Amino acid sequence: MSQQYPALLIIVPLLSALLISITGWINKRLCFPIAVAALAVSAYSCIGLLLRVVDEGVIVYRLGGWDPPMGIAYYVDHLNALVLVVVSVVALINLIGSKKSIELEMPGKTAPFYALYVLQVTGLLGVVVTGDAFNLYVLLEITALSGYAMLAMGDDRAPLSTLNYLYIGTIGACFYLLGVGYLYIVTGSLNMVDIANILPPLYESKAVLAAFIICLVGVWLKMAFFPLHAWLPNAYTHAPSAASSLIAPLVTKVMIYVMIRLILTVFTPEFTFNILAISEPIVWLAVVAIFMGAILALAERNLKKMLTYIIVAEVGYMVGGAWLGNRLGMTGAILHIVNDALMTLCAFMVVSNVAYKLKGYAFDDLKGLFRKMPFTMGAFVVAALSMIGVPPTCGFFSKWYLISGAIQSGQYAFMVALLFSSLVNVVLFFRVIEICFYEPFSDHHGHGHDHHAEPMAEAPVSMLVPLYVVAGGLILVGIYTSDIVNYVIEFAIPKSIL
Amino acid sequence: MKIIGLIIAILTGVLLLSATADFPIFGDPDSPASTHLSPYYIEKTMEDTSVPNIVTAVLADYRGYDTMYETAVIFTAGLACFIILRIFVREEPGDRLYRHVLTGVTVRVKEGAKLPPSDDFERIDTMWTPPDLIIKTVCRLLIPFIQLFGLYVIAHGHHSPGGGFQGGVILGASIILLAISTDLRTAVQRMREKVDAILCPVGVIIYAGTGALCILFGFNFLDYSALAPLLHVDPITARSHGILIVEIGVGIAVMCTMIWIYNILSSGGKYDEGL
Repeated sequence: MSQQYPALLIIVPLLSALLISITGWINKRLCFPIAVAALAVSAYSCIGLLLRVVDEGVIVYRLGGWDPPMGIAYYVDHLNALVLVVVSVVALINLIGSKKSIELEMPGKTAPFYALYVLQVTGLLGVVVTGDAFNLYVLLEITALSGYAMLAMGDDRAPLSTLNYLYIGTIGACFYLLGVGYLYIVTGSLNMVDIANILPPLYESKAVLAAFIICLVGVWLKMAFFPLHAWLPNAYTHAPSAASSLIAPLVTKVMIYVMIRLILTVFTPEFTFNILAISEPIVWLAVVAIFMGAILALAERNLKKMLTYIIVAEVGYMVGGAWLGNRLGMTGAILHIVNDALMTLCAFMVVSNVAYKLKGYAFDDLKGLFRKMPFTMGAFVVAALSMIGVPPTCGFFSKWYLISGAIQSGQYAFMVALLFSSLVNVVLFFRVIEICFYEPFSDHHGHGHDHHAEPMAEAPVSMLVPLYVVAGGLILVGIYTSDIVNYVIEFAIPKSIL
Repeated sequence: MKIIGLIIAILTGVLLLSATADFPIFGDPDSPASTHLSPYYIEKTMEDTSVPNIVTAVLADYRGYDTMYETAVIFTAGLACFIILRIFVREEPGDRLYRHVLTGVTVRVKEGAKLPPSDDFERIDTMWTPPDLIIKTVCRLLIPFIQLFGLYVIAHGHHSPGGGFQGGVILGASIILLAISTDLRTAVQRMREKVDAILCPVGVIIYAGTGALCILFGFNFLDYSALAPLLHVDPITARSHGILIVEIGVGIAVMCTMIWIYNILSSGGKYDEGL
């Protein structure tokens, strides 16, 4: 059975998404168990696959039994096996933790929501696992479509901000497709490894350069890399809690993965770092992204929106790290995909717990929250420490690699940006913690009750347990960073990058 | 802002056009696209899959995995329309109109009131216009032939241009034509929302399930030759049959999604009366 892991991890969610949309018309209560079971099988296959890859090296799975490049093939190496585990585990934990919030926010439409949720995970897993440039685009479409539908189910402004995202996201996907089209015209192949083998004599060709640039810009649009980030904050802020805590940790990270895959596999490091010589301006762009993300986050008075701007800054971390062009930077970028997915998940799950009880997450609503929801806020502190980069939480280690990489390649501006953003994160999170801890809970019934302890109104246990699993994961991943780097990421980066 | 946008658009256009200078000449037989993979498909398709139409073989077999997800994309689009636009109302407020079939008398029923159950009265739209006899008759005559042609296009994809997507669109269009030529209620009576919404994922399940069945037989996903013992044919003919099975799935999914989206959009999400 383990031979079929690459197929199972994506086919099981796809079939169950379809099954959920059928059972939704017959018995709505079955939808949630089916979704959880599907994602659990998928996560199990992903972990099994990662262990196999660590043991055996690259695994090739030929779909339909056709040899590549005639048919479509999966190439599972250390890089995508790691990202697969992150995607499937994050999606599973978030689904278990979001049941109550989905039922509260979308009464009557839970069944199609679960179906879209599982479809979204299918799309993300498919983008990560595939070794075919066009197949990646098809799955990108599934991810995007199901994402738009879920994001649009939020508050009154959600449809408009999602429409904005839809336009930008469609342009991004079109750019990527156009780039793949250019590559097909000059190489005649869609298979990533095959393209990489054909390309070397064509490195001087303008068409290859154009293909690379438009693919890159398309992916940047999708990951909200700074000047192309404008769609992200509103789309994520107004979305339903369950959707934003799935999409915010995963979609941007998966897009970073796609960028790294393009750099490392399709165009090879030789072309991207030696022949093109565009690393420096891109690292500078990343510096601007980090500064702007941090400053825009400072200006926000709304917890969820503040977190979305932090995502913009974090995207800058990873793009900058990947384009430093050395081993440390690339290690930092890949490690940060794992860490940032977990940190963002933890922070957004806190937001969804808060939204479940408070119906609002502007700073004024959060007063006295430590007394009201002590356990949720405990997890928030862990997420905050990780985003700031305090050891032993995992955020520290990826930042350490990124900063070391910046110093090694002499990109001191990037180092300064990373440190600046960490300092801003300190201000951001301690401001929130201060409001929640010291200011009394706003009481609309007069002032008589102010001295008394606020009654505790904690989120349900079914939301708290997954939250604490993630918070524990932040620390565990931090402690086991050296294992992840030595056994997985070390092999994910080609030897040619020093 | 508009000027900046224009400048960026022009720059992008110049970049894309200047890159085409390095493209092979249009229709060049020595271009990579026609020398790298195409010869294999042209020479081997018949041997590998026993399908005369190379396009169908590439679409549904060599790259069948892409096509499965294209079908899933269509299903996702339908589901997205449903979750965003569909409004569930038990009983719409306001008056309802009924028409006495035999005499043509229209009865207005006030809000909350009920008409005794009877076959003589049919519910009609609030903006009701008597159906045009010519349009109604012509469409009634046409629809069976359109549907027959749709089935032909699906089944004949192996030999001629066609296949599940095209055939599914034709089948879906026939039901939409019924909705336009009479009214939405008549079309929904032929194909209820529940049936439509269940058939839509069933179409994709036929595709993905065929692929998953191959795993159960110990082959790779979507390797239709695994179905040979099941279909009592040799592995190569099994590929051809496998393609037909998945094309039928695609046809069902596309047809139902089209009808579903049209009904939701035209009725403003209420699924009762529309264009």
